[in-house]
Amino acid sequence: MHMANELLSVPVAAGTLAIAAGALGFICRRVRQVIATEKLALMGILGAFVFAAQMVNFQIPAMPGTSGHMVGAVLLAIILGPHLGTVVISSVVIIQCLIFQDGGLLALGCNIINMGLVPCYLGYFLYKLVMTGQFSSLKSYIGAMLACVLALEAGAILVPIQAALSGVLAVPFSTFLITMIGVHFLVGFIEGLITVTVLAYLQQVRPDVVIDCLPGKVRLSRGAVLITLAIFAVIAGAGLSLLASDFPDGLEWSYAERPDQPDFDSIVSNEDPRVAAVDDFQSKYTLLPDYSGRASKLGQIAVDEVDLSAGWTSFAGVVGSAITMVAIWLAAWILRKRQPSKA
Amino acid sequence: MSKAIEIENFSYGYPDGTMALSEIKLSIEHGQKVVLIGPNGAGKSTLLLTMTGFVKGTGKVFVDGLEVNRKNLKQIRTCLGSCLENPDDQLFMPTLFDDVAFGPLNMGLDTEQVKKRVADALQTVGLAGMADKAPHHLSAGQKRAAAIATILSMTPKIITLDEPDGSLDPRNRNNLIKLLGSLSQTLIIATCNMNFAAAIADRAVLLDNGQIIADGDAKEIMSDFKLMSEHGLEVPTVSD
Amino acid sequence: MHHAHIDKFAYQDSVIHRLDSRVKFIAVLIFTAVVISLPRTSLSIPVCYAIGPFAILVLGRVPLRFVFRKILLVSPFVLVLALSCPLYDRTPLTVAFGPFIWRGTVGWMRCFTILGKFVVTMLALIGLVSTTRFNDLLAGLQKLGVPKLLVIQLGFLYRYIFVLIDRAHHILQARAGRKLRSLGFKRELRTASAMVGSLFIRSIDTAEHINIAMQGRGFDGRWRSISKLRIRRADLLFALAAVFFILGLYVFIRPVLQ
Repeated sequence: MHMANELLSVPVAAGTLAIAAGALGFICRRVRQVIATEKLALMGILGAFVFAAQMVNFQIPAMPGTSGHMVGAVLLAIILGPHLGTVVISSVVIIQCLIFQDGGLLALGCNIINMGLVPCYLGYFLYKLVMTGQFSSLKSYIGAMLACVLALEAGAILVPIQAALSGVLAVPFSTFLITMIGVHFLVGFIEGLITVTVLAYLQQVRPDVVIDCLPGKVRLSRGAVLITLAIFAVIAGAGLSLLASDFPDGLEWSYAERPDQPDFDSIVSNEDPRVAAVDDFQSKYTLLPDYSGRASKLGQIAVDEVDLSAGWTSFAGVVGSAITMVAIWLAAWILRKRQPSKA
Repeated sequence: MSKAIEIENFSYGYPDGTMALSEIKLSIEHGQKVVLIGPNGAGKSTLLLTMTGFVKGTGKVFVDGLEVNRKNLKQIRTCLGSCLENPDDQLFMPTLFDDVAFGPLNMGLDTEQVKKRVADALQTVGLAGMADKAPHHLSAGQKRAAAIATILSMTPKIITLDEPDGSLDPRNRNNLIKLLGSLSQTLIIATCNMNFAAAIADRAVLLDNGQIIADGDAKEIMSDFKLMSEHGLEVPTVSD
Repeated sequence: MHHAHIDKFAYQDSVIHRLDSRVKFIAVLIFTAVVISLPRTSLSIPVCYAIGPFAILVLGRVPLRFVFRKILLVSPFVLVLALSCPLYDRTPLTVAFGPFIWRGTVGWMRCFTILGKFVVTMLALIGLVSTTRFNDLLAGLQKLGVPKLLVIQLGFLYRYIFVLIDRAHHILQARAGRKLRSLGFKRELRTASAMVGSLFIRSIDTAEHINIAMQGRGFDGRWRSISKLRIRRADLLFALAAVFFILGLYVFIRPVLQ
C-alpha cells in the first residue's frame, strides 16, 4: 500500500521524511563500515530481484480471479539481516516513486517507514526470536509466518495512523484501520507461505545462501498449512465479531447524517484534546492557513452561506488557468513546427 | 621481454573435488590473437578467470611478467582487461559513460584524462556520441561493443573475452570480428563458434575436461576433422 | 521490451531536460508541499497550480497521453480512499462557481480536492522524472546529501530492474506454456516459490559476475564518479520562475482564502 502525498499534511510528511532520512542515514553509515566490497553489487541486484519476484503471481484458493504475489521485505531481512534488508527495500520504494510514480515524493518518508524500516526490523527480530534454541522445521515455519503477518500488519497499521494525524480523509480512523488490518491479514498470510517455501527451496538448492538463518531442512506439510489456515480463520472470525460488538455503528456510519445528529461523535473529532493539538500544530506550520479543519469545523463554515463573489474569483482562476495552459501548449506546438526537431 | 601470459602447471578443482583445470601449461606472446576452443564446460572460462586472479589453484600464473598474487593484483588488472560472457554483467552502471569511465577512475586518473579515454574507447568500438545512453536502451550488438569499450578505456596490453560472439546476429558478429581484428592488443578469446574463431585467431588452444589437448596454428588445428569431432567441435565452414 | 520505454522521455533533449537535476528536484518538492497544504475545500486553487507542471511537461515534450496513462495506473489506492470520503462526511455544502451553483456535501468536495491535488502533484513528479535522466537525478540527490551507499544501491537497482523483469517474464512464459490447468493451491504455491527461489539464485549469480567485472576493472571499495552537474544561468532563471510562480499564485489566491 503506497501512501500518497494527498493523504498527508505537510508536518506529518516532513516528520516522517525526517525520521526515514535519519534512520537510513544512520543505517547506511553503519553498514558501509562493515560491508564487504562484493556485497555492494549483491544488494543492488536483490533490489531488482524484489521487483521481479513481485511479478510472479499465483492463484489464491477460494478466491477465484484474485492472485497473490510476495512483498519480499521479510525474506530479504531474514537472509541479509535487517540493516541490509532495509536499505534494499527502501531503495525499491524510492525507485517505485521515482520511476513508476507509485506513492508521492512527500509520502516517501511514510512509505520507507511502513514498507522498509518497520517490516524489515520487526520481521527479522520476530523470526530470530522464534528460532532461538534448537532448530526445528515447525519452528522455522511458525517463525516466518509470524514474522510476515505481524511485520506487514505493523507497517499497514501505520498508514491510517499517518492519515489520521494528517486529517485529510473523512473516513473514520477505525474503519480505515480495520480495513487495513483485514486486508493485510491475508497479505501477510500469503507472504508467510511464500517466504517459508522460498526459504525451503533455497535450503534445498543453495544451502550456503541460507545457512545462517535456516540451518536445517524445512518440510511444509499439508497438516501445518491446514492448521495455520484454521487458526487464521478463527482469528479473523473473532476479530470480525469483536468489531461488530465494539463498534455497533461500524457500518451505519456511512448512513449517518451529521446535521441530523448534532451529538454524533466521530472517532477522530477535534473535541479530543490530542487531535485538537495536532490540528493546532498543523495550522501553525502549514504554508497556507487552512480554514477548513476537521469535520465539525467544516460544518460551521460551509452550510448555505454562499459567497458569490468568491465563487466568481475561483471561476476566473480556473478559466484563466485553462486558457494559460492552452496558450502554453499552442505556443510550444507552433515553436516546434517552426524548428524541426533534432530528435 | 616477458611473455604476455605464462602459466606453469596450474591446477584447480571445485570444492566438490572435480578438476576444472589440471596441469595447464600455456605461454602466450605479446600481440598474439589466441582462441581457446572447446566444448561447454571444458574449463575455458575458468582459465580466463585464472589469468585475472579470480580463481586460485596450485601452480604459477604470470601476466606480463608479474606473478598473479594479492600484491600484484591491482597492477595486473590494469594490464589485463577481462570481458565477461554476458554484457549485462559487464555494464553495471546507469549510463554508458559511467561504465566506460569506471576503470579509468579506479586507476586514479583525473577527470580530463578519464573523459578523453571514454571518448577514445567509444570511438574505437563505434559508439561515439552515445555516452549518455542507458545500457537498457542499447541493442545486443551495441551492448557487446560497449562491454569491450569498458576494457579498452583502461588501455590494457592484454584483453580476454569470454564468448564475445554469444547471441549476436551475423551482421553484428562481422562487426565484432572487424573490431577485434583492428585491435593491437594481445587477445585471448574463449569461444565454441569455430567460424568466429577461424576469422580472428592465428593460434588456437583446444581445451577439454580441464586439459590442453592441442595448441598450435589455428588453421591447422581447426581443420583437423577427427580431432575436432572427438571433442564435440566442428570444422569451420568458411575459410579464407 | 515495453518497459524500456518507461523512461524514454528522460533521454530527449529540451530546455527543461538541460536544467540541473537538483534545481528541478527541489522545485518539485516545494511545489508538492505547497499543493498538499492548500485548503481541502477548494478545487480551483489546485487547478491554477497545475499550470506549472503543465508548462514543464509541454516544454519538455512529454506527450500528455503518456502522462495521464501513468497517473491512471497508480491511482487506485487514492481513488478508493477519496471516493470513500463522500460516504462519511455528509455535511451539506453549497459551492458557487461562477455562473454555476452546486449543492453537494463536504465529503464530495474533499474527494474532488484529494483527486485534484493528486493529479497536480503527480503531474509535477512525472514532469521531474521524465525530463531528468535517472543518473543525473541520482548525482543530484547525492549532492543534496543522500548517503552514497543508497545512491550506489539505487544506481544498481535502476540498471538491473529491466534485466530481472525480463527474466521474470521468461520464467512466467515458461510456466504459462506448460501449466494447462489449475494445479491446486499447494502446487501453485510450490511452483511460484520455486520460480521466486530460482530468480533469487540467478540474482546472486549475476551479482557475483558483476563483482568480478567491478574488481577486474580495479574496483577497491572506493566508489569514484565524475559529476557533470553545474548550475547555469538557465537553472537560476528556472528557480526564479518557480519561486515566482508558487509565491505569486499564493499572493494572488490569498484574498480568496479569507
